[in-house]
Amino acid sequence: MTDRLFLLRRGLMVGLALLVLRLAFMQLAHGAAYRHLADNNRLRLVPQAAPRGLILDREGRQLATSRSQFRVAVIPQEVANRRATMKRLGPLVDVPPGELDWRFDEDRSLPFLPATLVSSVPKPVALRIEEAHLDLPGIVVEQAITRAYPLGSVAATLLGYVGPPDPDALPALKPYGVTPEELVGRAGLEQALDAYLRGRAGGSLIEVNHVARQVRVVGHREPVAGQSVILTIDARLQALIEGQFQQHQQPGACVVLKPDTGEVLAMVSFPAFDPEAFATQQRGAIQQIFRDPRSPLMNRATDGAYLPGSIIKPLTAMTALEQGVVTADTTIQCPGFLTIGNRKFHCWNRDGHGPMTLREALRASCNVYFMEVGRRLGQERLRSGFAGMGFGRRTGWTMEEQAGYLPLRVRLNEGEVALLAMGQGDILITPLQAAVMAAAIANQGWVVEPWVVKALGEVEVGHTHARPLGWSSAHLAIVREGMLAVVNDPEGTGARAKSDRVRIAGKTGTAQTHIQGHPHAWFIGFCPAENPAIAMAVLAEHGGSGGDFPAATAKVICEAIVTPAAPADPPPNG
Amino acid sequence: MMSATRVRAPGLDRPLIAAAGLLSLISIVALASACATLNPSLTTKQAMWIGLGVLMGLAAASGPYTRWIDLSLFLYAGALVLLAVVALAGTIKLGAARWLTIFGFSLQPSELAKLATACVLARYLAAQPTPLSVRTLVISGVLAGVPALLVFLQPDLGSSSIFVAIWLGMVIVAGMSRRHVLMMIAAGTALCPLAWHGLKDYQRLRLLVFLNPHLDPLGAGYTIIQSQIAIGSGQLLGRGWFAGTQNYLNFLPERHADFLYSVIGEEWGFAGSVFVVVLCGMLVWRVSRIGSLTPDPQGRLLAAGVISWLGYQAVINMGMVMGLLPVVGVPLPLVSYGGSAMVVGWTALGLVQSIHRFGTRL
Repeated sequence: MTDRLFLLRRGLMVGLALLVLRLAFMQLAHGAAYRHLADNNRLRLVPQAAPRGLILDREGRQLATSRSQFRVAVIPQEVANRRATMKRLGPLVDVPPGELDWRFDEDRSLPFLPATLVSSVPKPVALRIEEAHLDLPGIVVEQAITRAYPLGSVAATLLGYVGPPDPDALPALKPYGVTPEELVGRAGLEQALDAYLRGRAGGSLIEVNHVARQVRVVGHREPVAGQSVILTIDARLQALIEGQFQQHQQPGACVVLKPDTGEVLAMVSFPAFDPEAFATQQRGAIQQIFRDPRSPLMNRATDGAYLPGSIIKPLTAMTALEQGVVTADTTIQCPGFLTIGNRKFHCWNRDGHGPMTLREALRASCNVYFMEVGRRLGQERLRSGFAGMGFGRRTGWTMEEQAGYLPLRVRLNEGEVALLAMGQGDILITPLQAAVMAAAIANQGWVVEPWVVKALGEVEVGHTHARPLGWSSAHLAIVREGMLAVVNDPEGTGARAKSDRVRIAGKTGTAQTHIQGHPHAWFIGFCPAENPAIAMAVLAEHGGSGGDFPAATAKVICEAIVTPAAPADPPPNG
Repeated sequence: MMSATRVRAPGLDRPLIAAAGLLSLISIVALASACATLNPSLTTKQAMWIGLGVLMGLAAASGPYTRWIDLSLFLYAGALVLLAVVALAGTIKLGAARWLTIFGFSLQPSELAKLATACVLARYLAAQPTPLSVRTLVISGVLAGVPALLVFLQPDLGSSSIFVAIWLGMVIVAGMSRRHVLMMIAAGTALCPLAWHGLKDYQRLRLLVFLNPHLDPLGAGYTIIQSQIAIGSGQLLGRGWFAGTQNYLNFLPERHADFLYSVIGEEWGFAGSVFVVVLCGMLVWRVSRIGSLTPDPQGRLLAAGVISWLGYQAVINMGMVMGLLPVVGVPLPLVSYGGSAMVVGWTALGLVQSIHRFGTRL
């Protein structure tokens, strides 16, 4: 059967010979005609970018939109007198000629490819340059669609940003018609929803004559706009909270949820950044963002894992009540410390709180009470209570998130268990997980999956997923009463959150960090206390006490929820 | 084990080395020009891949190829696992995924799967009586069909068809009866409409565009038109290195990969293009010669597999950029940019050298 290999060889050789024939036909017989086509470049592709879908908040306010932009570029080979041209162009675009000269050299590649001088100029300037085009040989104004964020940096870490596609990702995007010049989502929702937001670029293939006049349109394809996305975010609330962080220059995060559905009304991470810097490729601004030691690109609400501190106490309390190790009336004596083995663990109040019930212990955030409760519960029951809330696991959030940390397989000693019960030691949670915990206390014990995409185009996609914890409402009432006292009793640790416009329930937290004397400050809570409409978590990195900035911010959030937007409110979209 | 007296293994087949080496050299030269405005670092990367490929090829040539065939089941299973991982990753990411990233390098498992499939088929088919029974055809078809299907799901129609070519070439050489060949042609023709339904929209469009490039003058049709203009305008001696206007004016998409041959056509003209075809012919000639001189059926079948694979890819790729065949995204072996393809291609040729060296002594 050896001759069969010759058969194969012969088949392939015939194929190769046909290729040679075809080459001869194209390159020798018709080479001149093809050369002519190539030389005259009669076919020109005039691309027409597809506008990217809008990103809207729940009220229809625009968070991200598309904007026409005018780019000033120079075609190197068409510049007659470079100096004179730059000198004339400088005042028009308000850039010193020397700087233009520098950009020219920086961006030029080949004589006939335009080099960008100014990436974005206003329309009147573009028109003025067009009018002066006879005096400005080689200068061209190109129109492009770019991404705009009407509210600036509002929700920037959530929205993410767009930019030219990552060269490594480009091969996978190519079958979907993405070109290297196009803007694609590179982070946040812009990236996660890129397939929906991105439209399909269109354009015309035109044939031109020797003076570059269009002769005919060989083909045309309409650009298809991307789908709009409606978020559950309330931009007004989001901006309000960001304003609080901005005002105090306080790095941190905040998540506001609807406790019954898991809809995210606001997700703040401060500091944020200007997403337009990426869309318009402002190199300086982008470098500054990347170099900022406070990592503005990180979404602290989902990607930051922090020690929870005392905000975990309501959960410890619920677990203890459910497990029957304490009741509402159980009194535990706080002498200011608790001795476990041969170690002495101090309460934050070294003078001691005296005898405490659960409600009082929550109000005063008594460490001894909760350490003792933790000791009675033991590692297994405490851990399963925390794991039930979803700590140490992802919440099911739309995008990437940290799972935090919960010691699942490690055997802890009694002291470590006691510390865990008051939120110190071996546990890390994200602000999003903290908000889910607040929501569970607010909604009678359901662990909701937080979500943020309400609709894609016309299609409603948001769904509520919730898991019941089976908490008894009598036990919940005790914990909620304690959380009300935290805010509303004058001695409560969260008294700064007290409002006369709405009843707020909450819990403060102050978590030790590696920087001595600069603990993370937390507040979780919900309002109105009787029939909660929102649940929230506020985190201030190294922000001192949870009773300060976080509690004050919670009050602002809650009051904004009960107050309808006043007409005087500046409409976010101008 | 017929040779009791130890005969020194013969050296390497020089013409085969020359053909493969020249193709890789041409790859570097053409790539330098093709990606000058695109991403100049590709040339250095490609040189690195060639170096790695040559090392792998030498390693493969240094020992008996039967070791590879003995281990082919593991190789094959490993390749399938990698393909499945990529297929799964693709469904999760809602897009075409053809790469696995390992230690910062992207690995294209479909390339590995081609070699593994050829090895596993050589092992299986060599043990079957001739003419091949229907059962043998079905089993071998499944062996080639599983990786073909996984690649098809990526979705990568072009690479998927290569598995069919490898299988077809190998069963023909293994001794498929003439009647079966005819029946298969008939069945293949009848299945075409069915296959049409299994294609993605953009793949259908490419096939339609092949029939009429003006259907989609901005997308796939544009590529074909511009690629033909590039090749044709090369005329006899080409426009010269770094002087192709189609290349520099960005008229040629994918010009570093599947369309690198159009850059060669434009810049080196008929002379350069035919030279590449001749080198491919030389590759086909030497590999088939080594295969037919080998008494060992496994060696002969492996050579048949390698030649169906590389030869088919060469004809399809060049035919596609000339507008003779639809655009299906098949790289030109040893020439187009791509690390996995380059390394695996050289490894396969190393195995063929091993057949040349050790095949007569087994």
